[in-house]
Amino acid sequence: MAKRTTTRSVQRKPARPHRHGKGRCVAILQKLSAYIDDELPGTLCEELRKHLGACPNCEEFVASLRQTVALCQHQPAPALSQAERARMRNDILRAARPR
Amino acid sequence: MKTPAPAKQPASVSRNEARTAASFDALYRDHVDQMYRFATRLCGEPEAAKDLVQETFLNAYRGYQTFRGDAQVSTWLYAIAARACSRMRRKRKGAPDRELSLEEFIPTSEGELRLQIPVDGLSPEEALQNKELRQALDRAIAKLPKKYRMVLALRDMEGLSAKEVGSIVGLNERAVKSRLHRARLFVRRELSAQGIATSEPSHNGHPFMQGGH
Repeated sequence: MAKRTTTRSVQRKPARPHRHGKGRCVAILQKLSAYIDDELPGTLCEELRKHLGACPNCEEFVASLRQTVALCQHQPAPALSQAERARMRNDILRAARPR
Repeated sequence: MKTPAPAKQPASVSRNEARTAASFDALYRDHVDQMYRFATRLCGEPEAAKDLVQETFLNAYRGYQTFRGDAQVSTWLYAIAARACSRMRRKRKGAPDRELSLEEFIPTSEGELRLQIPVDGLSPEEALQNKELRQALDRAIAKLPKKYRMVLALRDMEGLSAKEVGSIVGLNERAVKSRLHRARLFVRRELSAQGIATSEPSHNGHPFMQGGH
């Protein structure tokens, strides 16, 4: 497997085509959330890090997954207006105490 | 012998009621924004989210006496909201949730490896200033099968631990993490392949497997 030994050139293209079969893909894919959440056991983490260093496609994929999680974590949510908050409270209390 | 005076009953009931109402007001005041945010993430639409919030607090009001304080109030409310959400969903008789398999997330073209709207070098807050990205994210989350959206909303958006999420949705931690992972992969793919998937034929040149087969 091609190892990227230098980062001097800025080009993003892998030096050699990357090879791993579909089974390996799934095995890598399976661990990526645990990897970005820092939940992988040391040896597995090391193994994956090594692979990512050697595989620009996988590295790019992980970066985009990390970005996706960060975007979800910061997704803005709309807020209720004061009037809506009060109206909903009254509706709830009315429904809770039918007279 | 003293017999319980029937007249006393209404007085104590109303005292209880008053106590419940006062506690309810505090509960509502402290958590309504949080529940609305969560409901918006589950439902997408503001009106459906408001219905869910009302249903949640109504059930909380009715069950307040049974809340023993062994969980955090917010966890208790999230659980009520999650149950109310699946009840409301069942009423609408939607299609059953699709299962997501890992295989479907293996990229099939170069363009799927990275996000379509680049966010490199930006903080998430800065990136989300981009309306197009915000809308794409909303769309991607809305497209998630509901049980996956629930876990993503609780874990990544509301920031609960996997254990707390498990107690709310009735799964063990391992299952929560597996569901979360698929949800994240789904959203990632939506943010990367939108527009690209339709314009490019798939399965020609697997970027993970070039030369592998």
